[in-house]
Amino acid sequence: MTALALPSQFSARVDVNRSLGGGYVVLEFSGVSGGALGEVVAGQFVMLRGEWGRELLNPRAFSVLWSEPDGRFAVLLKAYGQGTSRLVASPVGARVTVTGPLGRGFRPTDGAVTQLLVAGGVGLPPLHLQARQASARGQAARLELFYGGRDRDDLVLLGDFEAWGVRSVLATEDGSVGARGFVTAPLEQRLVDARAAGEAVEILSCGPTPMLAAVRHIGLRHDVPTWLCLEEEMACGFGVCLGCAVPVHGARPYQYCCSDGPVFEAKQVRWP
Amino acid sequence: MTAIPRTTAIDPASVDLRTRLGKLELPHPILAASGCFAYGQQFADFMDLRRLAGLSTKGISPKPRFGNPLPRICETSSGMLNSIGLENVGAEAFLAEKLPFLAELGISVWVNFFGEDFASYVECARLLEAGRGHGIDVLEMNISCPNIKKGGIEFGTVPEVAHRLTRACVEVTDLPIVVKLTPNVADVVAMADAVAQAGAAGVSLINTLTGMAIDVRTRRPRIATMYGGLSGPAIKPVALRMVHQVATALPQLPICGMGGILGGEDALEFIMAGACCVQVGTANFARPDAALVVLDELRARMADLGIGSVSEVVGCIRPLPPEAPRVDPAG
Repeated sequence: MTALALPSQFSARVDVNRSLGGGYVVLEFSGVSGGALGEVVAGQFVMLRGEWGRELLNPRAFSVLWSEPDGRFAVLLKAYGQGTSRLVASPVGARVTVTGPLGRGFRPTDGAVTQLLVAGGVGLPPLHLQARQASARGQAARLELFYGGRDRDDLVLLGDFEAWGVRSVLATEDGSVGARGFVTAPLEQRLVDARAAGEAVEILSCGPTPMLAAVRHIGLRHDVPTWLCLEEEMACGFGVCLGCAVPVHGARPYQYCCSDGPVFEAKQVRWP
Repeated sequence: MTAIPRTTAIDPASVDLRTRLGKLELPHPILAASGCFAYGQQFADFMDLRRLAGLSTKGISPKPRFGNPLPRICETSSGMLNSIGLENVGAEAFLAEKLPFLAELGISVWVNFFGEDFASYVECARLLEAGRGHGIDVLEMNISCPNIKKGGIEFGTVPEVAHRLTRACVEVTDLPIVVKLTPNVADVVAMADAVAQAGAAGVSLINTLTGMAIDVRTRRPRIATMYGGLSGPAIKPVALRMVHQVATALPQLPICGMGGILGGEDALEFIMAGACCVQVGTANFARPDAALVVLDELRARMADLGIGSVSEVVGCIRPLPPEAPRVDPAG
């Protein structure tokens, strides 16, 4: 895991508010007054706060979908509570305060190990960015996407993975696309096949907590290195409020999602 | 009609922001609040820390402490609840690893501290005394955190107990002790008076209000310890009332005000209620440079209102004039 650019706080404007269907929205931003996000590792995140006055205080954490050297960046979101609802409704030109890039992301593929990217819901961005960056280095063939959702509308940005040449295995609960059921079933079969073939694989996952819990168990059961990109309620995003505790094994009972993570090794996480 | 003070705007650069808390001189009234600023380092990426008048550290106990189970925080209307559990590195590690960074800043360093019982409060004050002359300017004694068990509640709510505890801590250090009081009491003036009589150099008002939030879908509390401390603009009216009550009853006791300060006008309200300086807390989470926003806005707002110095408005508010007497021609 690596962290490159120092974080900064800056003001940005909404350049694009693009609906992908299924409630998913991509917001694209550019920094104003010289603000820029800098280089981002897949899994790193930003804290975003609109001009929300005094009623809604805390910024919201979003994994970075992509960022460009000129300072533009994007996030993927869905309306869930008050903060996300306001952001989803942001008109072009709306101002936000940005803090980032924050946290420690996934490590890039070293070429020798196949990375299985397991995504669900708004957990797609860190894996999307991992694939984008691997593709830029000519390593797309070392990645495979396992992407699950409730239905067809729950799987977004599939064309990007296709364009990068990343093989995708899809699953939907209603069977409208790919295998019927959870994506963890084809994932587990893939691990069995890899073991039989003597192929080195590791799992990188981000998505709803029940999915991450299942992926963690599968990774542990098959003794495959597994990295989970977690989400916890956080107020600051940079290690001050201590709200986003993650229970871990080891000398300390907790680490922090924002500053020690959000990427944690599955065996380190103290979940049932 | 009420006489309104002159409102001829003045040059912001001419506003004299200097203030003092007892013997402690400050270049302006804006500090960062305990529990919302860690040990300062994390903020260096986002702001020039030397522009602050000072900061109060995360609460320090004699031994390191791990925090509470999660969830530890949740957002509520105009505020947030927290039950972090007083997690900290402990006095020894603070002095060795955190204080040198703070000492270099050249700002007023307040070390917030607490104990798990009477003896460990005194032990903590004694340990931190070693930081006098090495960067620590003030000990801010926290007798008010709602997130500690073991009978800690009586330190902050029973005047006689607070008095004894303050006196015992004052006796083991030459650092000024500012006592941070809880709003979760019936009579805050009695608490302030008790610690003042015991030798406190001032009081910080207020800590969080005990509160609760419920997830109706899961039928569970939204923080693991059931109750937590409410902070943010939601508590500002309560904080202002308590600052004003203490300032009115105990005019000689210096007050550092806090509770929901987001902007310069909030800070000015606290000053007018009787605080000689203020701390910015929860706002630091909304944006890391929040305290500097408050500072810049305070200067601008004072200039707008034609207020030339902080000292002329500390505790300046007066009651509204009485109504005109009623005349009843039929009577």
